[in-house]
Amino acid sequence: MHDERLDVRVTGESAARETAPAITFDAISKSFTRPGGKPLEVLRRVGFVVPRGTVVAILGPSGCGKSTLLNMAAGLIAPDAGSVAVMGRDIAAGTVDWSRVGYMFQDDRLLPWRSARQNVALALEAGTMPSRERIARADAAIDLVELAGFAGAYPHELSGGMRSRVALARSLVGEPTILLMDEPFSRLDAQTRSAMHRELLRIQALRQMTILFVTHEIEEAVVLADQIVVMAPRPGRIRTEVAVTIPQPRIGAAATTALVNELRQSLGEAEPAPENHP
Amino acid sequence: MSEAEAIAASRVPAGLKTALQRCALAAILLVVWWLVSLVTPAYVMPNPIRVWQRIVQLTASGDLPSNLLVTLLRVIAGFLIAVVIGVPAGLVLGSNRTLGNFFEPVLPVLNTVSSAIWAIFAIIWFGLTPLTPIFVVLMTALPLIVTNVWQGTQAVNADFVELARALRFSRAKTLRKIYLPSILPYFFSGARLAFGFGWRVSLVAETIGSSSGVGYRMRQASDLIQTDQVFAWTIVQIAMMLVIEILLLQPLERRLFRWRRDVRS
Repeated sequence: MHDERLDVRVTGESAARETAPAITFDAISKSFTRPGGKPLEVLRRVGFVVPRGTVVAILGPSGCGKSTLLNMAAGLIAPDAGSVAVMGRDIAAGTVDWSRVGYMFQDDRLLPWRSARQNVALALEAGTMPSRERIARADAAIDLVELAGFAGAYPHELSGGMRSRVALARSLVGEPTILLMDEPFSRLDAQTRSAMHRELLRIQALRQMTILFVTHEIEEAVVLADQIVVMAPRPGRIRTEVAVTIPQPRIGAAATTALVNELRQSLGEAEPAPENHP
Repeated sequence: MSEAEAIAASRVPAGLKTALQRCALAAILLVVWWLVSLVTPAYVMPNPIRVWQRIVQLTASGDLPSNLLVTLLRVIAGFLIAVVIGVPAGLVLGSNRTLGNFFEPVLPVLNTVSSAIWAIFAIIWFGLTPLTPIFVVLMTALPLIVTNVWQGTQAVNADFVELARALRFSRAKTLRKIYLPSILPYFFSGARLAFGFGWRVSLVAETIGSSSGVGYRMRQASDLIQTDQVFAWTIVQIAMMLVIEILLLQPLERRLFRWRRDVRS
């Protein structure tokens, strides 16, 4: 599906990398072997592209391999067949600059023995940056997520929403060009989650990152993403791709509700929309 | 703010109350001791004043500080060797399942060996040298430290290790920034236990296999039926352990683990 590669070889590999999509999944297949069981086919020939500067959601029920895809983009899991490229570089070749790729887990995963500031600075500790600069950048990231004044607090002293902000700051502190998120707000209550969506959109307007995130909630995908990759389970494969063209702010907009309902119907979900109608 | 102030205000009298209770307890014990000493011969139960005079005298002659220091240094030496061997051993046993399963029976066996047995072996092997009490402290402290560090490695959160992987930490960095801080509380409680046990068994070792130190001086005093000296040594070493606990271990623990949720509030 990437025949354009043949054309760009003429102009040289580096030029190709400058224009390559942020992330390219090319015919990914993956099976996991459970101990004592048959191999479980998680992904079957999945391919799609995440263009630079866009927000893409992988939407699907549990068991559709969406987290596996995300972890492949993070270089944490290798595909059995197919390839993943980040900024035009094949992950298998080992030349990806991971310092510019941020990752946010499903839970906040803050180290309890570190203050908020130290937790954020942790993301800079793989390299050789001097500690003074790490702390300065961590403080800036904490300011960015509007937690100034809580930099010295320990995780147990913070609310769920604040902890989520610290985790977001940790994934942003390296000034990533690509941000990967694995159902990052799914453990928050509806109100806090909505606040985090606004927060993320505000930061995205400033930073213009490429964001790839995984979710099982249609509304979250519609509110945040430019493009939604809808997955089907067992084995995980792409069902359809939806482009979202509703202008921001989408939270609470009539067009958002309409699209959510439309998707919900076409994807065969019976439950009514949970949001309250004005 | 006002809530915090209220808690602080209620805590100060609580602390004062505890201090008063402790003083009262000490006073009661002193009075009981003094009363018993009135009706018993001095070689069975010397009176508090006489013991106090003995402490002053032993301190003035330099006998007390020098022997206390000798014993303390032996305990520290044995303890440090136990840490140097025990921490890596616990880490290896905890991170390698095969080795862990293979060596697992060693620890309960080591724990069942009485320190008196170690003392006898130490005398056979090292004679009346400082190595004897050091060895006994080492053999007592080592299983405690290994066990606790081992348990600590089991308690390391796999999610945090995954986080380190996502952040592209090297193995050494993951060990230093994830494993060590996770294990530290376990190590600390093991080390604390090991030091306390180490002190007690060092006295046993010194009474039977040494020619200096607090244990040796206590046996000497008891051989000469200088019961007041035995009391003096006992009180001084209890006082020393209390000082170490209150001035060193408790502040250190508070500092190291200030990130923990305060269970009192």
